[in-house]
Amino acid sequence: MPAASPEPPTTEPDVELGSNATIRVAGVWKRFGSLDVVADLSFEIRPGELLGFLGPNGAGKTTTIRMILDLIRPDRGQITVFGGVPGVAHQARIGYLPEERGLYRDAPIVDTLSYFGALKGLSTHEAHRRAMRLLDEVGLAPVARKKAAELSRGMQQKVQVVAAILHEPDLLIVDEPFQGLDPVNAEMLRAIVVAQRDRGAAVVMSTHRMEEAEALCDRILLIDHGRRLLYGTLSSVKAQFSDGAVEVHGQRIPSDPTGLASVASLRRVDDSIRFMLRPGATAAALFRELAATDAAIDRFEVAQPSLEEIFVRVVEADRERQGTNA
Amino acid sequence: MRERRQGDATRPARGVLHLALLVARREYRRTVSRRGFVAGTALVPLGAIALLVLTNLILPGNSAGNGTAYSGSPVYLVNESTLALPSTPPPGMPVVVVSRAEATALLRQKQAPEVYLLTSDWLRTGRIERLVLTASGTDLSSLDRRDAQQTMLAQYLRSALLHGSGLPPDVQARIVQPSTLTDLPIDGTAGSAPSSDNLSAATFLIPYAFSLLFILSIFITSGYLLQSVSEEKENRVVEIVLSSVPPLPLMAGKILGLGGAGLTQVAIWLVTALVALPIAGTRLPELGHFQLGPIVLALALVYFVLGYICYGAIFAAIGALAPATREAQQYSGFMGIFGAVPLIFTGAFLADPHSPLVTALTLIPLTAPGSALQVVALEAEIPWTLIGSSLLLLGAFAVVATVASARIFRATLLLYGVRPSLRQVAAAVLARG
Repeated sequence: MPAASPEPPTTEPDVELGSNATIRVAGVWKRFGSLDVVADLSFEIRPGELLGFLGPNGAGKTTTIRMILDLIRPDRGQITVFGGVPGVAHQARIGYLPEERGLYRDAPIVDTLSYFGALKGLSTHEAHRRAMRLLDEVGLAPVARKKAAELSRGMQQKVQVVAAILHEPDLLIVDEPFQGLDPVNAEMLRAIVVAQRDRGAAVVMSTHRMEEAEALCDRILLIDHGRRLLYGTLSSVKAQFSDGAVEVHGQRIPSDPTGLASVASLRRVDDSIRFMLRPGATAAALFRELAATDAAIDRFEVAQPSLEEIFVRVVEADRERQGTNA
Repeated sequence: MRERRQGDATRPARGVLHLALLVARREYRRTVSRRGFVAGTALVPLGAIALLVLTNLILPGNSAGNGTAYSGSPVYLVNESTLALPSTPPPGMPVVVVSRAEATALLRQKQAPEVYLLTSDWLRTGRIERLVLTASGTDLSSLDRRDAQQTMLAQYLRSALLHGSGLPPDVQARIVQPSTLTDLPIDGTAGSAPSSDNLSAATFLIPYAFSLLFILSIFITSGYLLQSVSEEKENRVVEIVLSSVPPLPLMAGKILGLGGAGLTQVAIWLVTALVALPIAGTRLPELGHFQLGPIVLALALVYFVLGYICYGAIFAAIGALAPATREAQQYSGFMGIFGAVPLIFTGAFLADPHSPLVTALTLIPLTAPGSALQVVALEAEIPWTLIGSSLLLLGAFAVVATVASARIFRATLLLYGVRPSLRQVAAAVLARG
């Protein structure tokens, strides 16, 4: 029986039972040996939403994805996909790009894609037609009859992406999709993921690349040691971690907080100065104080931490707490 | 938030059977189009053709075996003994008596490869000399010819010795050729077959070769399954496939498709055997009498299917467990020992098909396919009690092996580059559901 663990603070309440969710994960546990790989995890994703599934290596992301896909079963808790139990009934509506990905090396890529399409419920003819169209869109139509072994790594990755979206899934799960991609192919993949979301599919994107998550995701879920650390819309998460900081760029900006009543501390960040406000102070009050000086302000903005900063802070804080508890 | 109606009413229905058949179709097509499969399948027909060519080279004509009429070329004989030879040779004994000078001419002009000489002291010593052109070695084909000539010559000389003895002709005939053995079936089956004594080569070789091919085909087919599973694991395709097909229909599809490929191979080999045996029989009469009856063929099919499922399930589990294809092939090679055991003990099958060893090998599931076929081929009547028990045990083992393998398959297939512990494997096998 898994041991109870304290639930860290999150930005959104637990899943709402009865909502129109594509995936609903409620209190799920999975243990391998003596290790709880997933511990009391809950979240949901709705149609037309792109969820960034974040976490350090070994956090339990791939295990969670495999449970959603019914590749492994949870020890406790409930997972529903399209309102039902994960399984063969819903597999045809799911597109999956795994972290560990590959192709049949000795088969023509169009044959492999047609086979995958047929497994997802398309007729052989339709699967072949769609495969050729998508290969054309990603610039691989001329090599459609070539074997995967004859293609470059980048080409193979494009084929794998095509395999995941060939059947126009209602749920697309991409596990570390940008891993090993050059900038051109990464841009292509970004466009594909957004297009899938825009046509109404629910998209789960597991990634280490915070800039991608920040640019693409509607909501984020951050886990570590299988437990949920952060969950919410990107704006709400950022607001939670903004810390009342204001970043100012210009000439003769004061580098000493003395005389600025609303400022608790400041530090230089590149060619700007970041002011940390006292509790209760507002950005408008700071602006008035700065205007009263001889400072020439070029840029004044309420600073929000990057997702990467939030990630590091949350994970480190959690690991400190884990160490203390241990 | 962008939303659309969930679900797609136009998407075709997709059951596990449909998925298994899709997997089976792909595995079958992929396997039969492999160069290795085509080469392996063609090997037996090519071997049969080579055998026929070889027998034509070695055996230029029918030879006289024990109790069969001589049908070779005339035998030249120089008689320097005191034995009076008949002016015309007895029927079926084409002996031409020549002088020493004529013999020399025949040899020099290469009209005869050898001439036999009854020496002057033959009656006392029995010494016969064979005159040849040179003392060089003899080719393989002359051995068989000379063996037949000597048999016929011995009958000819016995006939000459008895000539004028006053013994009744039938007694003389029995002295010349005391026996002509034939098998007489007492169950009313039509016709008579040559004596089983004359079938020694076929008795040993045919069941042995048949079992060898049979076991080979089971292992080759199971090997395809191993290759398919371990390649998908090594290529990391398996996770994509498993996200579309649950483990059990995936494995069922693979077993079905690759089993079909194996059956295709066996069918081609069997057709080859059915065509080649009668042709070979014209040169090697013993082979011509060996027949693969419908019951034997049906049993062979059942044993092939069950044997393949057993070994296939074990090989699939090995493919799922092993971190890499090469390692999987090494483990599966070890399993080959079980399959080869019936062939190693072929001597025991020939000596006594009822021995406890033979019975045990026929009942043990992993040795049953190779053993049962030898028993069926060697026994005059099919021992149904033994075969029925063997099939029962083999069938039960096939079910257990398949279920256990599917559980191992599901539990370990996604462990890339990791060798699961025995405890993990045991837990997977004993897991419920």
